Amino acid sequence: MTKIKLNGEEAHVEMTKGEFERVKELLGRDPSITELGAFDVMWSEHCSYKSSRPKLKLFEDAEANYDYVLAGPGQDAGVIDIGDGYALAFRIESHNHPSAIEPYHGAATGIGGIIRDILCMGVRPIALLDPLRFGKLKNNPHSQWLFKYVVKGIADYGNCTGIPTIGGEVEFDESFDSNCLINVACIGLGTIEDFKHAPSRAYNAGDYVILMGGSTGRDGIHGVTFASRTLTEISEADRPAVQIGDPFTKKLIIEATLEAVKTGFVRGLKDLGGGGLTCATSELTGDGNTGAKVDLRKVFTREPGMTSYEIMLSESQERMTFIVKPEGLDTVLDIFRKFEMSFAVIGRTNDSKVLKVFDGDNLVVNLPSKALSESPTFKRQERRPLYLDKLISQKTPDLTLDLEEIIYKLIASENICNKEWIYRQYDHEVGVRSVVKCGEGDSGVLRIIGTDKFISASVGVNSKHCFLDPNEGTRGGLVEECGNVIANGAKPMAMVNCCNFGNPEIPESFWYFSKAVEGMNDFCRTMRIPIVGGNVSFYNEDEVKKTAIKATPMIMIVGLIEGEKNIITLPFKKAGDDLFLIGETKAELGGSEYHSVIYDLEGGIPPKVDEAKIKATWDIMFELYRNGMVKANHDVNKGGFIITIAEMCFKNYLGAELDLNNCFDENIRDDEFLFSESYGRFIIETDTNDHDTILKLAKKYDVNVKKIGVLISNPEIIVKGLRNNDIKLDVQKLKENFDSTIPNLMEI
Amino acid sequence: MSIKIAVIQFPGANCDLDTIHVLKDVMHIDVDLIWHNYFKESKYDGVILPGGFSFGDYLRSGIIAAHSPAIDEAKIMVKDGRPVIGICNGCQILAEAQFLPGAFLHNESLKFICKWINLKVENNNTAFSNKMNTGDVLALPIAHAEGRYFNDNVEELEENNQIVFRYSTEKGELTKDSNPNGSLANIAGICNLEQNCIGLMPHPERASEAIITPKRTTHGLLFFESIIEFIKRRIS
Repeated sequence: MTKIKLNGEEAHVEMTKGEFERVKELLGRDPSITELGAFDVMWSEHCSYKSSRPKLKLFEDAEANYDYVLAGPGQDAGVIDIGDGYALAFRIESHNHPSAIEPYHGAATGIGGIIRDILCMGVRPIALLDPLRFGKLKNNPHSQWLFKYVVKGIADYGNCTGIPTIGGEVEFDESFDSNCLINVACIGLGTIEDFKHAPSRAYNAGDYVILMGGSTGRDGIHGVTFASRTLTEISEADRPAVQIGDPFTKKLIIEATLEAVKTGFVRGLKDLGGGGLTCATSELTGDGNTGAKVDLRKVFTREPGMTSYEIMLSESQERMTFIVKPEGLDTVLDIFRKFEMSFAVIGRTNDSKVLKVFDGDNLVVNLPSKALSESPTFKRQERRPLYLDKLISQKTPDLTLDLEEIIYKLIASENICNKEWIYRQYDHEVGVRSVVKCGEGDSGVLRIIGTDKFISASVGVNSKHCFLDPNEGTRGGLVEECGNVIANGAKPMAMVNCCNFGNPEIPESFWYFSKAVEGMNDFCRTMRIPIVGGNVSFYNEDEVKKTAIKATPMIMIVGLIEGEKNIITLPFKKAGDDLFLIGETKAELGGSEYHSVIYDLEGGIPPKVDEAKIKATWDIMFELYRNGMVKANHDVNKGGFIITIAEMCFKNYLGAELDLNNCFDENIRDDEFLFSESYGRFIIETDTNDHDTILKLAKKYDVNVKKIGVLISNPEIIVKGLRNNDIKLDVQKLKENFDSTIPNLMEI
Repeated sequence: MSIKIAVIQFPGANCDLDTIHVLKDVMHIDVDLIWHNYFKESKYDGVILPGGFSFGDYLRSGIIAAHSPAIDEAKIMVKDGRPVIGICNGCQILAEAQFLPGAFLHNESLKFICKWINLKVENNNTAFSNKMNTGDVLALPIAHAEGRYFNDNVEELEENNQIVFRYSTEKGELTKDSNPNGSLANIAGICNLEQNCIGLMPHPERASEAIITPKRTTHGLLFFESIIEFIKRRIS
């Protein structure tokens, strides 16, 4: 907090003294108290990206570089053209801080916020995905409490609004003990015309400004500046800064908004999220190069006596601002009336380029429209943490344990085990689009009704890898998420990200962010994947323990599948079929689940990414698909390929006989081969007749492809050709271990 | 003779468009989506109350929608023998409106459950089951938090043939494990005495196209085809 003098009085603001001087300079006078509040919120880290913006400049040119990108970074959501006249919008953002204090409403309003972001692109929200991070569950009631209510918050909100939650990802790790991460992603679908109807700008003078939806209350005032501080003990007292969600009203807002957009009378659309009415009115007019006159007495409030400061800064949920053509005012208002939504015409746009807000006759805000979005930026220091060298030099202990025991333990670990307990609570079928459903594939696959097109979406990243090397870890996350959509037969189309990091004022924390962004940028440019949006959450730092969360640059990839016949699924299909391991397995156990679960080690050298090799692996996969040769596919992820194989056996209760002779380099140990988390690998099931063709293609593409075994009807996994004894695993027991972990911890 | 069906859009309904999609795009039936306040029964041969969270289900599932003017209209249809069908939240609404006996309570697990289950046909005489055989086992998904059927007189229901569907195993056994929510006597769907008003917790509209069903079945269509068959028999 900074103490400043305003009109002779002392005020507490979040902004720095320097920023306050800048405000005065910009205005040529002292700001009013409402204006000061507006600047304080809009120049916060959360709204202004003042620490991250210089770095994020790297992503700015997606629209220019890819002809199918309709909206790129800086808009409410990224939008791509998927052909046949359809546009797909998607975005991911964080709701970490509110959820750490109040997990149920924090998570619920996170969903509410991301739905509004998609809605204000003029399209229907059709899917949600939620990557989460908590402390370990075992012996940790606090983590269990957060986990339980976050999942319930997502379920209650998403289910009620009728938007299926089709995917997600979760990791449990000590670094998230007091700073859980709740990232929420939403995908929207509409026609390209729908999208063009409703830009988030008020570019025409004389239009009406309408506030629609929930009433404006005193909740969430300064929620934004609160999110740009580190959580402390005092934060419990900040509870009023967490808003309460109302999914029922949100559902009506969705329907009323989509119906209004269809009329063609809506000229601009913006949701009220962080910064409330201040943010919506200033961004609409600022980006549209217009001005507006707004009267706060028209705003319908939840309680009497709210000051202009409170009305402008309230972050009450479930509100939208519409910019409506004068000739369409009655039509639009009739739609709101039909849905019994509250609304108020609060002002009109003009060409003054000034935002004037009145409280009755009093002029309380009188600012150039663009002033609030022109926050100063900071060039933050970055420094590689000293502890990393020691961590990276950790070696895998000698293998003295029984491999079978290790595998049974690994598959039951919190980060690998079955996540059914979560997705059973999510309605993942509503909308009748879900083709590959939760638990059935590496990604969620939705059909686009009326076409033979399918979209595939996957979200996540490996926080342990990013902690050891943010650049390689982030690129690895991209390989992994792209791999997930490719495993279902999709071509990766675009990426959005949500960067979760510690305090940017600490050079070591900012270094993680900086390296992650560089990794993202390098990979996406090389692989030609447009980055169409992002969100940054800093200050995920435990002030008591003085530690930051493990760096988590969450990545969402959206892919496209042309034709139903090209959808590939995860489960093994038929005994007698061949199994191939595609991609190279290196002795890469740094940050692996094997290290963490078996030896309680965090360190080692994490997997590295070689873009040229990844590209070749993807190319061969697509050729195999074109030839119709892949009957099942699963991307190799946490726990290594042996876990991957087990997961593929479960659904149809099949087994596998593996012979690993000549499959791996002689200086790689058994455990290194079985549990390595090297990126860019797939396990595929193929017909024995295709064996020779597959090996020929491997030569053509210069990709490491090894036949590792065959499927058997007996439900056991036999592994021969190891340096140690053969191993034999019971699929039933693996499945029981895989299934029981979370229910055992949560259902007591 | 043209048949016309109405799907009521209560505020908070969210399976309305899915139901319309199956009726219109898959089955090519003449169907209207109607906002609850605007619904007038006279134009329609049958009505479906779709799934969702009417009025947010904040007080109790279906209770507020049960007082909508649309329910007065539906009552006229029930009385003169036209099919009145409730799916999921629609089923809860029909129970709250007392068109159907009993009540739907919170699932035994106290959690929302979304999963595919097996459904055994107990009575194939109704407006929602006449295209099936008694004893058929159908694959449908459930998605609800308050689906545990309760009634203090299950014997009477059985005597009157009001139990239309029960949760079962794939082989049709009525076990505890195959009952996802703790419903009394595994009951998943019930009807009124006249068998023209039926409430069903699982979602046939999510099981009507092979591409979105796990085993490429289209059992959901049987339900909607039954409505049409019922109407045809009634008018002829």
